Amino acid sequence: MGSRASTLLREEEIEEIKKETGFSHSQITRLYSRFTSLDKGENGTLSREDFQRIPELAINPLGDRIINAFFPDGEDQVNFRGFMRTLAHFRPVEDNEKNKNLSNTEPLNSRTNKLHFAFQLYDLDRDDKISRDELLQVLRMMVGVNISDEQLGSIADRTIQEADTNGDGCISFTEFIKVLEKVDVEQKMSIRFLH
Amino acid sequence: MPSRMGARAPAGFARSFLELGLLLLLVFVLLQGSVFPYGADASSQHAKDGCSSTHEGKPNRTKKVFPVLSFEYDHIKTPFEVSLWVLFASLMKLGFHLVPRLSSIVPESCLLIVVGLLVGGLSKLIGESELPKLDSGNFFLVLLPPIILDAGYFLPIRPFMENLGTILMFAVVGTLWNAFFIGSVLFAVCQIPAAGLTHLGLLSCLLFGSIISAVDPVAVLAVFEEIHINELLHILVFGESLLNDAVTVVLYHLFEEFSAFGTVTVLDGFLGVISFLIVAFGGVLVGAIYGILAAFTSRFTSHMRVIEPLFVFVYSYIAYLSAELFHLSGIMALIACGAVMRPYVEANISHKSHTTIKYFLKMWSSVSETLIFILLGVATVGGPHNWNWIFVTSTVFLCLVARVIGVIGLTFIINKFRIVKLTTKDQFIVAYGGLRGAIAFSLGFLLEVEDEEMRHIFLTAIITVIFFTVFVQGMTIKPLVELLAVKKKQEAKRSINEEIHIQFLDHLLTGIEDICGHYGHHHWKDKMNRFNRKYVKKCLIAGERSKEPQLIAFYHKLEFKQAIQLVESGAGGKLSSALPSTVSIQNIQPKKPPPAPEPRERVLPQLPKSREEEIRKILRSNLQRTRQRLRSYNRHTLVADPYEEGLNDLLKKQKMFELEKKIKEMNNYLSVPVATSDSPTLRRARLASDPQAYNVKPDPVAVPTIQVELASPQSPDSVNIMDEFRKDKEKDEDTGLTMKPPSGPSAPPRKQSEDAKDPQKLTRCLSDPGPSADEGEDDPFLP
Repeated sequence: MGSRASTLLREEEIEEIKKETGFSHSQITRLYSRFTSLDKGENGTLSREDFQRIPELAINPLGDRIINAFFPDGEDQVNFRGFMRTLAHFRPVEDNEKNKNLSNTEPLNSRTNKLHFAFQLYDLDRDDKISRDELLQVLRMMVGVNISDEQLGSIADRTIQEADTNGDGCISFTEFIKVLEKVDVEQKMSIRFLH
Repeated sequence: MPSRMGARAPAGFARSFLELGLLLLLVFVLLQGSVFPYGADASSQHAKDGCSSTHEGKPNRTKKVFPVLSFEYDHIKTPFEVSLWVLFASLMKLGFHLVPRLSSIVPESCLLIVVGLLVGGLSKLIGESELPKLDSGNFFLVLLPPIILDAGYFLPIRPFMENLGTILMFAVVGTLWNAFFIGSVLFAVCQIPAAGLTHLGLLSCLLFGSIISAVDPVAVLAVFEEIHINELLHILVFGESLLNDAVTVVLYHLFEEFSAFGTVTVLDGFLGVISFLIVAFGGVLVGAIYGILAAFTSRFTSHMRVIEPLFVFVYSYIAYLSAELFHLSGIMALIACGAVMRPYVEANISHKSHTTIKYFLKMWSSVSETLIFILLGVATVGGPHNWNWIFVTSTVFLCLVARVIGVIGLTFIINKFRIVKLTTKDQFIVAYGGLRGAIAFSLGFLLEVEDEEMRHIFLTAIITVIFFTVFVQGMTIKPLVELLAVKKKQEAKRSINEEIHIQFLDHLLTGIEDICGHYGHHHWKDKMNRFNRKYVKKCLIAGERSKEPQLIAFYHKLEFKQAIQLVESGAGGKLSSALPSTVSIQNIQPKKPPPAPEPRERVLPQLPKSREEEIRKILRSNLQRTRQRLRSYNRHTLVADPYEEGLNDLLKKQKMFELEKKIKEMNNYLSVPVATSDSPTLRRARLASDPQAYNVKPDPVAVPTIQVELASPQSPDSVNIMDEFRKDKEKDEDTGLTMKPPSGPSAPPRKQSEDAKDPQKLTRCLSDPGPSADEGEDDPFLP
């Protein structure tokens, strides 16, 4: 692993990742070593099985969905760039970043982008709406098997009713943002990555 | 005379509160001076002599005359005085809120201190030398625990845990910094010959510093409660004030021990650190043990609901006393006990007990707080003072400076580790909110130093600092908060959306942390939650409730509350029509196999409009005809309202109709007993739509009450419709909607025998949803 690791992560790559995601140099190298330790096949990409080997993820109710979120549409392998791009959503929002405007696009870890990431975990068919069924699926995963379908159904109905402002029976992204406006998303969706 | 004055007071009440207030004060002080002097010896004589105007009493001097009316004050002296003080405090509190503008400008604590000052002043004028002192025994054992328990029981666990690092930094390091800074600079000041304080050694100054450095939870609560600041700041300052107790206890004892000897070695310092760890963790451990005991006890109280609140209070108080016994931190024990027991106890107890606990805690803490502030005022006037300009002013100044420097310095360090940084505004509020209060005063009072003069100097300085912080800082913090546009508390309650999404995010973050191999906050929280669910809940929560996921519990609470609102606003007829628009409560049916002895619940179906009308008509006619006789209230039974029983029937009839329909469609219903051993919240939710399902214990004597429902020796409700139906089928009757005549015990007992087994089951009634500010109860444990 030694020689391959050093050739796989070049300085230019680190710089590019830094620009794209905002991680610092040491964070990138640290995450890279984690990436390689997960990559049992040693081919520079991670597959779904690599993720599933993480024991805690297996008991996480949302484990599968989270794993899916790393893989861009249709693909089965994710490289380090993709890995970092997904993780970048969870970087804490820094105060000075709010003022700086490096590029035209919003940084990956802005509040909207964080919420969009979470939204996409609900919305599997990518139609920009969380339908009742999608909500039910998530609820079922979180709640376990003991609760009856009807009960979950009424919870889902209640949830949609609270959030739905335009009456289409689904939760759109804007409604999703509105519902969570009181929640401190910047804190709840951030991980303190070690330096 | 006072009685006549009292009679005149109500008349003038509306016009001028001040008049009444002064009148009350005067009455009280006169009573104190003339009737209730302290110092037992000459009391009875004195009282008899002085009280001719207040009480009729024939002094019994001769043997011949039998005393028709006698006066013996000593017998009831202490309880009477205590009650009078409590009454006085409560009336004052009541009075403040009648003057609308006053309570918005001046915080209540200030007003209460002023009242205390007045009382003290008046009684000094009258020459009454003995007033109740804020003596440390009373304060620490009686007045302080209710406030701390109230704070601990309703502590918002999630924000507290999330900010625990910050809070601990402020509490421990901040208080240490304050103590040493103030102590050493004061010592330097004392060295100035002009002050005349050179006799104060370094250790005495450090002792003083340790007393005055701690932020006081009572004062913070009193002031912050009124300014509705955002949750983060509130929990920071409040958490700090609670947790610095351990530091204060250790420092106080350390310096008190050693100020006698005059030297402190390194070993002593080291022992001090160890002592701190023991005090802090020991306190928490003691509290946690008692909390678990209380939770475990509450598991078995389903048959004796009336004494449930008692367990909460008694276990907590014993935890406090046990901690104090070992010189551990009693406050931390109390907080730990309340916080640990709460999620389990709330899962086990009835709704009424929950309300009782809430109200009792608020009531006691409120009265305690009021008394503390009043007695502080009284003690100010009464206490022995030794005013030393330099000492006092430098103390006040140093307290402020130390606090500001401490907060700024610590925030600088803390912000390196926080995800959401503390802004300058936040820092200012945290620094400004560092109020001192009665704990400092009591600790000063407790001091046992040979130098009495020094003690008086200390006490004077402490009182001045308290006054300064409470009055100046307390009064100005509200306008400052407005001025600086600090974020206020979010008033809205948590919606089900937020609850779901927050849990979702928790799982998401835990997953991401696992992927990164990063054992952070979420990872440990998730582990603890899983442990809690797997082992702890099974032990401490009764019955099926232990398996109920937190989301479901939250949802049911929401439904319950909504149903209460519906009932309160609507009344019977609208009930069924209002329900379906929001939620289909009727579908609540967990997929669990039913254990037999549990009494069964009803399924509440929807009702078509025509049936509704029919029901309404019939009810109307029947309710007009009959009159209920209220059974006298007995501690062992909870009486049912006539109106509620009528409502009961409405709902029962609904079900009968609906099931009549269903029976024709689905035969297999009969073989399956209806929904079953539900969790208490499910039951509550169901009862929400069936609101007043009281379950009255069977009368020993068949009271011939005239009821709309069949009177049987057993409870008139909690009918199992399915069984009723089955019996109907057996008897081959089509009951439809026939009203059995109120025929007393001769009616065929259609009630189930199971009802007798569980008399108090359905006592979760919608009597009182509790005070509105109850966001705290929606927070799940370790959410």
